[in-house]
Amino acid sequence: MSFLINRLLSTLLTLFLVSLITFAITNLLPGDVAMMIMGTQANPEALEGLRQSLGLHDPMLVQYGHWIGGVLTGDWGTSLIFKAPIGDLLAQKIRASALIVVLSMGIALAAAVPLGVWAAVHRDRWQDSAASTASLLGVSLPDFFWGIMLILLFARTLGWLPSSGFADPAIDFPLALRHAFLPALALGLGLMAHLTRMTRSTMVGILNQEFIRVARAKGLSERTVIWRYGLANALGPVMTIAGLQIGYLFGSIIVVETLFNFTGMGWLTYQALLNRDLPLIQASVFVIAAVVMLTNLVVDLLYVLVDPRIRLE
Amino acid sequence: MTQALVAIEGLKVAFSTDHGPVTAVEDVSFSIAPGETVCVVGESGSGKSVTSLSLMRLVEFGGGRIVDGRLRFRRGDGSAIDVTTADAATMRSLRGNEIGMIFQEPMTSLNPVFTIERQLTDGLRVHRGLRGAPARARALELLREVRIPEPERRLKQYPHELSGGMRQRVVIAMAMACAPRLLIADEPTTALDVTIQAEILGLIDRLKRDNGMAVLFITHDMAVVAQMADRVVVMYRGRVVEEGPVAEIFERPREDYTKALLAAVPRLGAMRGKPAPEPMPLLGAEAEAAPPRMTERGRRLLEVSHLVTRFPVKSGPLRLTRAHVHAVEDVSFGLDVGETLALVGESGCGKSTTGRSILRLVEPQSGTIGLDGWDIRSLGPVDLRRARRDMQMVFQDPFASLNPYRRLRDQVAEPLVNFGLARGSALDDRVAELFRRVELPADFGSRYPHELSGGQRQRVAIARALATDPKLIIADEAVSALDVSVRAQILNLMMRLQAEFGLSFLFISHDMAVVERVSHRIGVMYLGRIVEIGTRAQIFEDPRHPYTRALLAAVPIADPRQRRLHDDTVFRPLPSPVHPVGHVPAPSTYDEVEPGHLVLALD
Repeated sequence: MSFLINRLLSTLLTLFLVSLITFAITNLLPGDVAMMIMGTQANPEALEGLRQSLGLHDPMLVQYGHWIGGVLTGDWGTSLIFKAPIGDLLAQKIRASALIVVLSMGIALAAAVPLGVWAAVHRDRWQDSAASTASLLGVSLPDFFWGIMLILLFARTLGWLPSSGFADPAIDFPLALRHAFLPALALGLGLMAHLTRMTRSTMVGILNQEFIRVARAKGLSERTVIWRYGLANALGPVMTIAGLQIGYLFGSIIVVETLFNFTGMGWLTYQALLNRDLPLIQASVFVIAAVVMLTNLVVDLLYVLVDPRIRLE
Repeated sequence: MTQALVAIEGLKVAFSTDHGPVTAVEDVSFSIAPGETVCVVGESGSGKSVTSLSLMRLVEFGGGRIVDGRLRFRRGDGSAIDVTTADAATMRSLRGNEIGMIFQEPMTSLNPVFTIERQLTDGLRVHRGLRGAPARARALELLREVRIPEPERRLKQYPHELSGGMRQRVVIAMAMACAPRLLIADEPTTALDVTIQAEILGLIDRLKRDNGMAVLFITHDMAVVAQMADRVVVMYRGRVVEEGPVAEIFERPREDYTKALLAAVPRLGAMRGKPAPEPMPLLGAEAEAAPPRMTERGRRLLEVSHLVTRFPVKSGPLRLTRAHVHAVEDVSFGLDVGETLALVGESGCGKSTTGRSILRLVEPQSGTIGLDGWDIRSLGPVDLRRARRDMQMVFQDPFASLNPYRRLRDQVAEPLVNFGLARGSALDDRVAELFRRVELPADFGSRYPHELSGGQRQRVAIARALATDPKLIIADEAVSALDVSVRAQILNLMMRLQAEFGLSFLFISHDMAVVERVSHRIGVMYLGRIVEIGTRAQIFEDPRHPYTRALLAAVPIADPRQRRLHDDTVFRPLPSPVHPVGHVPAPSTYDEVEPGHLVLALD
C-alpha cells in the first residue's frame, strides 16, 4: 500500500513538473507570442488585443494559474489554427492514436515474447542466431522504412488495407482499426525486435537460475518449466521495458502518422509545432507526457501483481 | 550388486565447449544400497556434482552429455531401468517422484514469484494427480515433517518471506513430496550458517531413517562426511579415487589423495592444550615448525573501543531514515603486534562490518579506533589515506577483488605507486619480492586474474595487501571460498608471514575449526556485539556464553566416531538488528571470568 502511495505521489509530482515545463515553453521561446501568432505585419492594436486575450501581461505565476486551472477543469483553450476547442480536438486524436499505440504494443508483445523465449531456450544454436539477426535487422531499420514496405505490400500490391486516411474509433471502430493497422504494424516491427532481444536476455538469465533446475528435478515438463516457471519471472522486466517504450512510440508516431496520412495525435502535434499554435503545443506535449507517465504507473502497479517481492518496498 | 538401488558403471560425461568436448567425469563406478547414505566428497572440479546430476540426467540441460557407462536404477515396482537410455517421459516420471534432489543455494532454489504451496504441490500434481484440498493437505504434512513452524501460514507465503534455513527446509519438503527412494543432496548445507547446518543435517538424517530412503550426499566438507556417511566415495579430477565405509576412509585411507584431503581438514579440538597457532600438516610437504613467538608480542597495535556502526533504513516517498540496522553495537577489543585475533560468528553478526569500520570503509557512528598512535576516527582524508598504508584488507572472493583487465604485476604494484613508495627498477624489484613472499613464480606477474586458480588469486590478493608493509591485515573470510587443501596452504602462508614480519591479523571467519587453528585470541560475535572474548584455550576449552557453546556444539567434527547429529527441532529465530530511530541500546558490559576472558553480561 505504501508502495502504491509512493508511486502515485511521485507521478503527481512529475506531472506537476511537466506542466511547469510545457507552460514555460510559451515564455521561454524567443520572440513575442502575439507576433508569432499574427505575423510581423499585424497592426499594433490587434496584437495588443491578442496579448490581452491571452493574458500575456499578467505575472507569470498568474498565467500559469490560469492555464493549469483550465487544464484541470477541462478548459484547454482554443487552438489558433483549427479555431476549435483544444479539449475536443485532443480527445478525438488521442483515441485514434492510442489505438495505434495499443495495437502496435500488442503486436510487438505477441510476437516478441514467444520469439525471445524460443531464442533463449535454443541459446547459442541456429534458432538463437536467426532470432537475433532478425531482431537486429528490425532494430536497425527505421519505422518509416517498414511503413513504406507495408504500404507497398498490403496497400499497393495486395490491396487489403488502406494506405492512408483516418477514422475516429468512437464513430466507426472497424474502419478505424483498418486505418490503424498498417501504421501500428510499422511501429510494432521495430518495437518487436527490441522486445525480442530483451525477452531473450532476461530469459537466458532466468533459465540459468537454480530454481529452474529444481523445477526440472521435480519432474515437471519442459513446457511447464519454461512457460510457467521461467516466463513468470521474465514478465516483470519485459513489462517494464515495454512500458518505457510507450514514450518512444509517441515520439515515432509523428513520423508514421505523417507517412500514412493518419491525422492522429502525432499529426496534430506536428501541425501545432509547424504553425506555432502555442496553446495546442502546450496541451499536446502535456497530454503525451501524462499518457506516458500514466502507462508507466500502470506498468509499475502490474509489476506488483507479477512479482510478490515488490510489495515489501 | 543386484540389490543395489543405484548402480553406476563406467560413467563418462563430457561437456561441449568452444574448444571441443571436455570430459568432466570418466570411469566413475559405485553403487548405493536402499536406505544407505553415500557421501561423494571432493574439491571443486572433481566431478561430484556432475555425477549426481547425471543420475537425474539433468546434465543435459547444462550442455553436458553422458558419453559412456550405465546408470541402473531400481524402480519402486522392482523393475530396473538404465537412466542413460531412458526416454524423456520415463525420466520425468523418475525425477521428483522416485528420485528427489536438493541443491546448494536455498536462496535461489525456490521460484521467487510462486507461493510455497504452489511449489510444494506441483510435483504432487504431476506424479500423483493430486490437486486442490488433498494436495494442500499433503503440502501441510510435508511442512510439518520438515518441522517448519506455522505451516498453514507458510503455504501462502513467498520464498523471500522465509529465512535461509527455512527455505532449505522447504526445498527438502519439495524433494520429499512423493516419498522418493533416493534423495540426492548436492552441498545442501554449504551456504548455511553452522547452527542451521546442524539442524538441516539432523533433518536429512531423520527423514532418511523414518522413510528408509537412500541418500546420495555431495559435499566438499570432510566433517560433514564424517557425520552423515555410511559409505564414502572420494573423487578427484573426474575420477573415483577411493571408496569405502566411512570409518575405514577416515582411519585407514589407502590413497595419497584421500590422506592429503584428510590432513588438510582442520579438526575442532585438535589444538587442545597448545599455546600458539600451528601450521596445518600438509602431506608431501615436511612438517612446518610452529612460528616462533614474536619478540614484540605484548605491544598493543590496535585498540578498538565502544565501536558502533549503524546503517540507516530509509522509507517513504522522501526516503527518510525511519530505523537503523545496528550492525556493530558497542564493540571493544585490542590486538597486539604479531597476534591473530579472530572474530567469529554467523552471517549478519557484524563481524565484517567491524573489519570495514576499522579501515573506515564504512563510517562508524561512535567509538574510537587506535592504530599504532593514529586515532583513526579523527583523521581527515589525507591522513586517513596515509594511515591505510598500515592496514590492508584481504577479501573473501579473490576473483571479485582483483581487476580482471589488469596484469597481476600492475595490481600488486598499485599500492606502491599510489603511495609513491617505489618507482622504476626499485618498483619491479619490490613486486618480484612480493610475488616471492607469497610463493608465486615471478612470471605470474604478466598474467591476468582469470589465468590463475582460486588459491593463486588469493596469494596475489595477499601480495597486494603486503605491498605497503602494513602492520595490520584484516582478512575477511579470506579462505572461505577455497578448497580444503588450498585453504591449508594459504593459512600456512599467512602464519609464516606473521612469524617473519610480525604482522597482526584480524581474522574474520565463520569457520570455528579454522579459527581454532590460526588464532591467538578469539572474539565471538552475535547480533553486533562481542559476546565472549578470550584466548583460544579460554574460548574453545572453557566457553562460558550460551551462544559460544551453541556455536561450538553445532560444528560438525571430522571424525565418524564422534557423531552428534542434532535434534533438528530447535528453532532459534534470530532477533532483528533493526531498531527505530532514537532507540538507545544498553552498553556492552562484561564479566571477567578469568584474566583476559570476558563474557557479555547482557542476556
